Amino acid sequence: MRNRVVITGMGIVSSLGDSPFDLHASLCEGRSGIKPIELFNTEGLACSLGAEIRSFDAKKYLGGRNLRPLDRTSRLVASAAQLALDDSGLTDVARNTVEVGLVLGTMFCSVRTISEFDRRSLEAGPAYASPMDFSNTVINAAAGQTAILHKLRGINSTISTSTTSSLQAIAYATDIIRTGGAQVILAGGADELCFESFYGFDRAGLLCRSDNAAGGFPIPFDARRNGTALGEGAALLVLENAAFACERGANVIAEITGHGASYDCSRGTNDREAAEAVGLSIRQALNDAFTLPHEIDCLSASANGSLAGDRHEAQGALLGLNGQTRSLPVTAIKSMLGETLGASGSLQAIAMVETMRDGVLPGIWNLQEIENDFPFQLATPDNRHIDLKTGLINSVGFDGHCCSLVLARCN
Amino acid sequence: MKRACIVVTGIGVVTPIGTGREQFWTNLLAGRCGIGPVRSFDTGAYRVHRGAEIQDFLPEAYLTNLDAAHLGRASQFAIAAARLALTDANVEIASLDRKRAGVSMGTTSGEPREVERFDDFFVSKKLELVGPEFLALYPSHVIAAHIACELQLGGVNTVIPTACAAGNYAIAHAFDVLRAGRADLMLAGGADAFSRITFTGFAQLGAIAPELCQPFDRFRKGMIPGEGAGVLVLESMERAKKRGARIYAEITGYGLSCDAHHMTAAHPAGEGAVRAMRKALEQSELRSEDVGYISAHGTGTLINDRLETLAVKRVFGEASYSIPISSIKSMLGHTMGAASAIEAAVCALACFHDRIPPTINLEEPDPECDLDYVPNFAREHSVQVAMNNAYAFGGNNASLILKRSETAHQ
Repeated sequence: MRNRVVITGMGIVSSLGDSPFDLHASLCEGRSGIKPIELFNTEGLACSLGAEIRSFDAKKYLGGRNLRPLDRTSRLVASAAQLALDDSGLTDVARNTVEVGLVLGTMFCSVRTISEFDRRSLEAGPAYASPMDFSNTVINAAAGQTAILHKLRGINSTISTSTTSSLQAIAYATDIIRTGGAQVILAGGADELCFESFYGFDRAGLLCRSDNAAGGFPIPFDARRNGTALGEGAALLVLENAAFACERGANVIAEITGHGASYDCSRGTNDREAAEAVGLSIRQALNDAFTLPHEIDCLSASANGSLAGDRHEAQGALLGLNGQTRSLPVTAIKSMLGETLGASGSLQAIAMVETMRDGVLPGIWNLQEIENDFPFQLATPDNRHIDLKTGLINSVGFDGHCCSLVLARCN
Repeated sequence: MKRACIVVTGIGVVTPIGTGREQFWTNLLAGRCGIGPVRSFDTGAYRVHRGAEIQDFLPEAYLTNLDAAHLGRASQFAIAAARLALTDANVEIASLDRKRAGVSMGTTSGEPREVERFDDFFVSKKLELVGPEFLALYPSHVIAAHIACELQLGGVNTVIPTACAAGNYAIAHAFDVLRAGRADLMLAGGADAFSRITFTGFAQLGAIAPELCQPFDRFRKGMIPGEGAGVLVLESMERAKKRGARIYAEITGYGLSCDAHHMTAAHPAGEGAVRAMRKALEQSELRSEDVGYISAHGTGTLINDRLETLAVKRVFGEASYSIPISSIKSMLGHTMGAASAIEAAVCALACFHDRIPPTINLEEPDPECDLDYVPNFAREHSVQVAMNNAYAFGGNNASLILKRSETAHQ
């Protein structure tokens, strides 16, 4: 018998607010977090838009703690962790009696910190490179710093699988709780918006250009899309062994019933293989959840405006759900949050939980003409009222990673 | 329901003392040292100048699908180790159900040389010379992705960048993936390339030794950065037996913990390390007295070796004095995310061959490090159970336990 895994708390810091409620309200009101970038200079780059967290101040969440050793990514994660722990009722006192773990998905942690450390050494000499900054150059820095700040002594791991990182982190934590390796794990992901990563995406031609019909915004699944926009954020779920959650009287929000993952070795260069990989990950997740395609009430798509990625996801969903996608309500919240990389899957999960609560599935912002052969009749710009009992969350990376998660409402 | 028994059937390593299992093992038992002057960049501005780099590595020998020019150095090492491991396991790639074969790799820095190149151009105001290749080469997830692309494996594909304990984490994850029935075969290990950023950081922490890596020696002066890759082929015992595979060892369990104490300094009582070892024993359903060899993290820094010794004593008590412990970092330097993967391979080989590699450069015992560190010469010793310990920045601790397989010595 495997342990059931439930969500008992959520914490987010995003361009659309710092609570699941605010995030959901923004998505349903069609407010986009994507705006001209203020964090760094985008002169000379093809794209100048991004979903940044304006005036982010970790002190708001972490009070008088010493935040000097934490870089922006670590501050995002530590803030989201505080919010998630508060939401789940796992106070400092409660954490003395149960080991809480942290599994963080991130694509870059902080490539900005890494690069600045190296540049300082190059410009001023190695003797001027800061040892404190060096401790933040490891890709597990945000998970480590957050564990120190919140005294999280359980399993501490970092997962890096491109934009699927946070769904993979949730999957990893789920399997550990299922088999009794831990009772409580904070799982999710984070990435910051910074010049170094933005530059890489821009030069790779993956970001939307201002000459698209939506004025330079990403338009998932739309025939007019020409790329994505990057965002930032941190989103963590408190995952718990259901029996343990019940015992301590925790508020159970939803259940993780299954997950699946696959890899497309063509890295998106072969349409058929790419779609099959997406389909495989969805099928595995459904099997793991003992769920049939017709039992899925909605899909939270990974689609972010990428030319190839959105197509592969649309065709892959058709394969994974045995052709049952035409009457499936679909949302793609990256239309408003941007591609938040390591945070994206856990943000999708939290948004879906909110839809479970009030039955409103946000529309796909700016969507006008869905590409001809995409098999989604219910992907629309308008919100939709649904009775969401079981939802599918999908994540598709830029270079081959696929991950899917099935979430079920708890009554 | 009884959980599947997971075994190691292939070993592939790329290290400063040899590439491929046989060459590596021979040199390891002979106590060869792979440390020399750093060649990959100019260390003129530093106070220390030595590292454990891999010389004359030819990536082309291991590539049929990908082009070496489009791969970072860590990916090159990783692919080589993966191919060597599959060959060693006698696995025909064509015979695999590729959707059921996955990759789990650990790393400290991913592909640091790519960001260093970015920084060079940034500082010299020639950033326009950095093109679309940067995103394709740099993010750490490419290490596992490149292995999958080269070998055409469509299963679970994960990178676990938990710094210097990453190899153990990645193997532990692959163990879970196999036990959950999510794959039939996993390639698991770690890879890192020699990095200017890493070298600068450890130099600034005052952690790099000027000449040698001397774990547990009274006059040890620090660690020596290195590079390399280690990959294991993992599969179920059932599958391995069915195909008549050679079984090096069984993986019985692991323990992960977090100090939640300090980013770079270990907990003064070895608190997290103790919990990781105990969890590993518990999951393995073994008692501490069953352990016949401990592969130490053993970086060679003053504090770490002392705390590791203390942590072992807290777990094993009086018995700690009779368990051989060695640090192969004395020979390889610290290969970062690859280190614990290579050390896991050593544990498997120790169980298989009943031989224990030495801790070299151990001349003068430290009164505070008074256990049996197998000084300077390899030893014949019956190893039924081996424990592989790894500790990392962020207080990430990982202990892995391997056991001799009943069918190993047939």
